[in-house]
Order: sequence, then structure tokens, then C-alpha cells
Amino acid sequence: MTTPILGRVVATERRPNTPHEFHFWTALDAPIGIGTIVRVESARPIAGVLPTIYGVVTEGFGYTDLQTPLHDVLGADGEPAGSAFAPTERTEIRLYTAAVLRHVPEEPLQPVPMGTVHLATEADVHAALRMDSYVGGSAARGIPVGLYRAGGTEAAVHLDADFLLGPEAAHLSISGVSGLATKTSAVEWLLGSIFAHFPASKGRVAAVCFNVKGPDLCFLDQPATSLTEEDRAIYARLGVPAAPFANVHYFAPWSAKGGQLATLRSNEALQHNVTPLTWGLRETLQYAEVLLNKDDVDAKADALIDFIKERVLDQVFSDPALERAHEVRSFSDLEQWFRELLRGLEARNSDVWRTHHIATIRKVRNRLTNISTRCKGLVTDDGMVSDLPFGSMQDRAVYVVDVANLEEDAQDLVFARIVSQLREHLEKRQLGVEQVIVFVDELNKYAPADGPDTYVRKMLLDIAERGRYLGLVLFGAQQFRSQVHRRVVGNSGSTLYGRMDPDELATPGYQTLAPATKARLATLEKGQLMVRHPHFGQPIFVRFPRPAVLTGREGVERFPQAEEMALDAAITRALRRLDPTISLGWVQDALALAGEDEDGILRARNRTLQARPDDVKAFFKAQLRKRATPEVAARRGPTPLRVPASDDPYG
Amino acid sequence: MNAGRRMGPSYASSEGAASVRATLRALRDSGVAPSGAAAPLEVQPRSDEPPRLEAAVPIEGERIAVRTIPEPPVAGVAAFLDGIQRSQVVAHVDGVPLVHGAVAAAIRLRVDRRLRTWDAPRLRRALFAPLALLPTSLAEALRARVQVHDLGEVPSRHPQEITARALTAVQRAREAAEGELVSAWTARGAGTLVVDGGIAGHADGARHDGVIGVVKSHRTLYTGEDALPLLLGLREGERSTAVRVTSPRRHPVASWYLRLRDPAGRSPLFGLVRVEVSPETRDLTARADLVSRWLLAERAPVALPDQRWDVMVYGIRDCEQYLTAILA
Repeated sequence: MTTPILGRVVATERRPNTPHEFHFWTALDAPIGIGTIVRVESARPIAGVLPTIYGVVTEGFGYTDLQTPLHDVLGADGEPAGSAFAPTERTEIRLYTAAVLRHVPEEPLQPVPMGTVHLATEADVHAALRMDSYVGGSAARGIPVGLYRAGGTEAAVHLDADFLLGPEAAHLSISGVSGLATKTSAVEWLLGSIFAHFPASKGRVAAVCFNVKGPDLCFLDQPATSLTEEDRAIYARLGVPAAPFANVHYFAPWSAKGGQLATLRSNEALQHNVTPLTWGLRETLQYAEVLLNKDDVDAKADALIDFIKERVLDQVFSDPALERAHEVRSFSDLEQWFRELLRGLEARNSDVWRTHHIATIRKVRNRLTNISTRCKGLVTDDGMVSDLPFGSMQDRAVYVVDVANLEEDAQDLVFARIVSQLREHLEKRQLGVEQVIVFVDELNKYAPADGPDTYVRKMLLDIAERGRYLGLVLFGAQQFRSQVHRRVVGNSGSTLYGRMDPDELATPGYQTLAPATKARLATLEKGQLMVRHPHFGQPIFVRFPRPAVLTGREGVERFPQAEEMALDAAITRALRRLDPTISLGWVQDALALAGEDEDGILRARNRTLQARPDDVKAFFKAQLRKRATPEVAARRGPTPLRVPASDDPYG
Repeated sequence: MNAGRRMGPSYASSEGAASVRATLRALRDSGVAPSGAAAPLEVQPRSDEPPRLEAAVPIEGERIAVRTIPEPPVAGVAAFLDGIQRSQVVAHVDGVPLVHGAVAAAIRLRVDRRLRTWDAPRLRRALFAPLALLPTSLAEALRARVQVHDLGEVPSRHPQEITARALTAVQRAREAAEGELVSAWTARGAGTLVVDGGIAGHADGARHDGVIGVVKSHRTLYTGEDALPLLLGLREGERSTAVRVTSPRRHPVASWYLRLRDPAGRSPLFGLVRVEVSPETRDLTARADLVSRWLLAERAPVALPDQRWDVMVYGIRDCEQYLTAILA
């Protein structure tokens, strides 16, 4: 291919070329910079083939024939303005160091030969990044990640779906300082790209995104207002629709008061795809370890919790210490069970029940029943369950779980349970999709490099190390990659870097980057990323468009958060989603039935929302009349239990 | 930008067919054992002429006087010319030294304040030897393989006499290369060319208004005893009035001394150059003032780390750097 000669390879004894690095000089005005991809053509055949080497510029040097700055001082007579008079500019060099991306042919692998240096064309970029093996053709599986632009060359850069979503490699790690539209924007863009380009032959794919702060992910279904022509051109160039996500489902727990959902997406105009996220005792107890630290749960307490999970929960349980048979399906039931059990022990003047000491029973009661308070809004006393559609997830759908307003403990619980459920359903091939992308921001909080070995961290490590075999893919974002557990980031097949904090770049994890590359990383503009991918021999800089969705900031301005409403108004708003004829007056009349029992009213609302009955009014009124019963939990059926062995110490 | 044009080779590598390597190979193939690496002849001690004063005829007034350049320095030079040479003894045959000589000359043209090569540089490489003193078969074998410059008859077989002759021949080859470029410039060049050294040896240059010679060494000072203190006392930015410099085998030129840099606390020759221009100038004073202003402007950038930085303009240093690179 004939392209202008831009530079010449040079090598000296002090600065030799190697198979993975070479040096070249260019004219002063050559359109070369850090990150530019170049092609070296050698005139000397190796085994009968003229080698071509592709490289990416990682370092640049410029100097003149000046031996010491003092000479310039002398030349200017000590007057800085004096040198401006010089009719000649000193001889100056632009010397660049490039890291080799690819040798063609690959063997024998030799030091880069002397040769001419050319700007890479689009075809060169494809060859240099080995994209020729997965972009285009019948087995195309390229996922556009951005546009490479340098020296007038523009080329689409694709990631290999097999290495982004598995099974060859998987997971994505995104690092960048906060507030520069890097992490969230990049994920939103990349999800759109995946949904547009993930081959149907590889199965269905969905994304579960945890919104851990602010309104970042709250408006994924709303179109962006600030896309520029350049953004649209990039979308068109990369074949990704410049449109918001078509299929988005939001999940958020109730606020502490219970009147409305605890999410910034609370504007009435956006409620059609917002669903409450509430769990009962059974769902919570499975992940009690998340909420109970080792100080809380010693071996004895752990044994009692296991007993409750296996022998008490979701079944009729009788015991001489109890006045009646109990069917524990909610925190309320559990509290009654504990109360009666302790009362029974006191009546018998006994300190031990089924090998469990009364002090342990009191401790476990305290810790467990306390959970519904610590996770209020998420965990319901009455066993009401409203969950993600595990088993019926839809292809190319985004499920956003808004935990921004939850306490840290509750966030951990949400995270642990949802990811575990995803994993379990994927193992059984019963999720509804074959691949699910889990986006978690603030990974340095959930999977820190140091600190206690939490349940969440163990689970993230498990996903990072084994998730790709299941189709469970982690897209993790963090401000400081160095503070994330190295096995989590180490297992990320692909990595994106936005603008980085210079202090972070000084940590050992970035030692392989040249100083100039680090400097560029520290000053990256919005919309620029450095990409690492298994097919790319070196990191590559790309440009990506603004996400085609409404930003969080714009979203909260355009769709202001609904104010906390009075109970009757909140009920009216919730029920209107099911039956638009419901009026505030009707609700006020209906609530008169329930008197002052706010919890009972909220329970009735929740059950109505979950049941989605044909006759909303009648169902709601019926629920108001009832005492709270675990209707939903009962419908789900009890969890199958092991048949206890005859020598079971709990028996 | 036309990168292809700018990045292409600026000289023809085929010029100069007797590289050191080719010469050594030819010698080996002819059964001559090459000498070990030797210092270039140019840096070996040599007996120079003694310093002297030579009276010259004033042509700008009746006697030599000091003249302050009336206006500030101004850029006016278009290009710079310099030549270099490298000589080394590569073998001895029956005590007769065989000298490999390489010369190069180039003009560096200033475009947008940057220097680039004008026309093609002149490169010559040859083996310098008195062929009559060598075995005929060897002489023929060498001639078949490399370019050979016959030193002709030499007064004696003294090795130093032969190397001195070779050195002179190499020097003439360099001057010839420079002369070629001077002629080319006077024929096709636009603007003023500064030549490193005198121009009296170049017929075309000595008669052309567009060529200036700048002499940095002063083994011969063109002044009588009486005007010497004036000349040595020139202050920065001052020049002497012009004299006519003539020599039997050279062309007459108008010449004056110019102090480029303040010599306070240094040798009286510090920063002193002798300028040569064509004598066929209508208003010599105006011409000398203007040329002096041009040269004063060329003091920056300073030519350090060259030891002759006080008298060397940067464009000449650039030529040397360029030639050193292509002759390597």
C-alpha cells in the first residue's frame, strides 16, 4: 500500500530496537502523537517476505543540537527575548518510541528492522489490532468500542465479543476519575453497542445495572438532548443506533416511610417501568451472612440461623416449647416465633432449647429481626416479594436496580442476592437470556484490594474467575483501579481507562505504561478512552460518542423527583398505574376502612401492585380488610428441604 | 506537507564509490594487510605556515579605519556552504602509505527559519596513493575495485611526505567540491550564500554579489603593523574598512574584519572574522555595512559547543553537522 513516508526507523547501540519496541524520527510537522498507530515497511526480506510491523506511539522526544541550556543563554546574551531575533531555528528532532502491535509475518520474531514509517490506514488499524479475525465475514463478532483517529486516519475499533462477554475471556474494568463522564457514559455507550452488534447466534443478552449513586442510570430510556453532529456521525460510523435503550426496567425499594419508591426516577411520567424491589424473610435469610458480620454470628449463632432456615422457615413448625404451630414466612412471623419460644423457655425455666442456649437465641433474634429495620423499604416484615424477573429476562433489556438511597448494608444485600440469583439461574439455564452483564460502579468499595473478606467480595471474585463459563459478565467501574482486588481486575479481559488521577498512575499497576502514555491518560478529554483488549498488543486510544440517553443531571431537571406525598395521594398514584379510573376520593373512602393502620394500608397496596388484579378496586379493598397474610410467599411454594437424618442433632 | 518529498534522501548514495569498507575489502583481496585504525590525518600534528601580517590596499578610504555598523543586525543570508574532509592511512605497501580520503560539501538553504539541503551535496571518496610506487598488479587491482587518486610523482618515499601530499590532494578535492556548489549557486541560487572560508579560490564566487566568504582563522592578518592595533581593538559590532586582498593564484576580493562578539577579557582575535565579497561592488561601504549587519544577525543561535563558536555562524555549524552525518 502506498502511503506517504512519515518517518524513518532508527536504532543505536544505546537505544536499540527490539521485537516489541522501536524508534523513529519524523519531520517536525508530522501528524504523529502519543497513541498514533504506524506501519513500518522494511526493504529487506526475511525468508523471502518483506516484513511489515505495526506499532503504536508510546513516547515522544524532541531536542535540538543544543548541548546545554547554558549555550542558549549565552546565545541570547541572557535576555530571553534576545533569542527571538535568531534568523535560524536550531536543528530539532522529533524522535518517537513505538510499541509493537503486530509483526507480519509473525515468525520469525525479530527486532524491528530499519525501514520507512507510514501513518496507519484503516486497513492497517484492522490488521494491527488483529481485528481482521473477528470483524466482518460470516463469523463476525466485533463490538464497536470507539473510533481510532490520528493523522487523518479514522478507523472503527471493535472488541471481540468472545473476549468481552465470554467464553474465551470476559469482564470489563473501567477506571477513571469521577465527574468527567467516563465510567457511566462509557458503559452506557458500550451497552448500546453490544445490544446492536452482539450476534444473535451467540444467544440472548441482557444487562443488570446497579445504580449506586445519584441519578446516573435513571433515564436510560430517555433520549439524549445534547448529541452533537460529531456524536451522531460516530454512531453512524460504528453502526450503533443513536437512540436510548428500548427495553429498560427499573427496580427500587420503597422509601423508609413506604409512600413511594426510593429512587430519583420518581416522576409520575416515568413510572410505567418502575417496579418495587422488596424481599421477605426467606429471600433475606439466604444472605444473612451479608448483613451479619463475624462479631454478630459466631458458630453457635450460625447453627441456630441454619436451623431456622432449614426447619422453621416456610413450613409448619411445632415444638413443645411453643404454644401453637407456627408457619414462619415473614419477619413478623419470625418475631412472633421468637417471642413465643423465649416465653416458653422462661415458663419452663430452661436455658437450652435443642442445644441452643437462650442467650444465643436472644442474640439471633435481635440480629435477625433488626434486619427489617436496617433495610427498611427493601425488606418487608410481611414477606411481600417483588423481585427482578429471574427466569423471564428479555433479550437486549436493561434492568436497573436503584440502590442509591439504601444504606450500605442493604446495598450489599441487594447486590449479593441479585448476583447470586443471576448465577443460579444461569447455571440452570433458566434466566431467560444466555448472557447477562452486571454493571457495578464503585468496585473499590465492593471488592477492595484490602480490608475484610466480605461475602460480596468473595462473590465478585467468584464471578471474575468463573463467571465467563456461565455467561455472567462483570462490568466493573472504579475511580482507583489500584484499590480493587487484583484478582477482580486481573480477570477482566478488557479494560477501559478514562482520564486518570496522576497519583493513581504512579501506583505499580501502571508501570508498564510509558510516561507519555500516562501523561496522556492524565489529561484525556471527555469522550476519549484508552482500551486494553486481549487482541490488542498494546493499549489503544479511541473516541466514543456521548451516550444517546438522557444524562442523570438533565434527567432530574426534566423529570423532577416527586415530592414525598401524603399516604392517600401515594396510594392513589400507585394504584392508578393499574387502574386509571382510581381517584383520590375513592382511595380516601377506601382507606377509611383501615383506620390508622399505615402498615396495613401499605401492605394492601403492595399486594395489589404485585397481583395486578383485573378489578383493582375490589382487590385493594379486600386486602385492606384482611389481616396481613403471606399470600405471595405462599403462592411461591416452600423451598424443598432435605429430609432430616434420624441422627440430626436438631431433630 | 509533502512528507514524501521532505523525507526522501537528499543525496545520491552512489556518489563516491570508494567507501572505507570497500577500499579495505579491495586491499585485503589484493593481499595487502590494512593498517589498524589510525587517527584522521586532519587531526595529526602538521607544520603550518608561521603567522604573518600582510599589507593590503585599502579600498574604502585611504587607510584602514574603524567603522561602527550604523544600523542594527538584520537577517539577510539565504544559505550557507561548508565542506568537510576525512583522511586516514588504511595500509602501507612497502612503506608507502595508502590514504583513504573522503570529502563532502553542501549548501544549507534557510526556509522558514529552518535549514535544509539545497541541490545535492557533493561527496567524493577515493584512495589517494602514488601509484608509481606500488606494484603494477596491485595498482590495477585497486583501480578496478575503487576510485583511486594518483598522487603522481613524489619527491621522496618518506611516508610523511606522501601523507602530506595525500592530505593536500584531499583538501583540493574538498575545495573542488565546494567550488562546484559555489558555481551552482551563482548559476541557480537565489539570495546570498555565506561560504565558510574565503571565496578568492572560487572564480564564480569571487565575482558574484550573492556570495560572501567568512574566514575564521587568522594566521595571515591583512594589515600592516600600523593598523594592527585598530584591527585588534575592534569592539563588538565594529568593522574595519575594506581592503583589496589579492594572491597570485587566487581571485581578488574585497575584505574587512568584523567583530562579532565582545572580546573583553579574551584573546584579541575572539569573535573576529574576515569577510570577503566580490570587489566589483558599486557602493562598497554600503555593501560592507549591510553584509556586516547580516553576519551579526547570524550570531544567534550560538554555534556552541563548537570550539570556534565565537566566529562560527550557526548555519555553517549546521552544514558541518549535516556533512558529518552523511559522511559517517
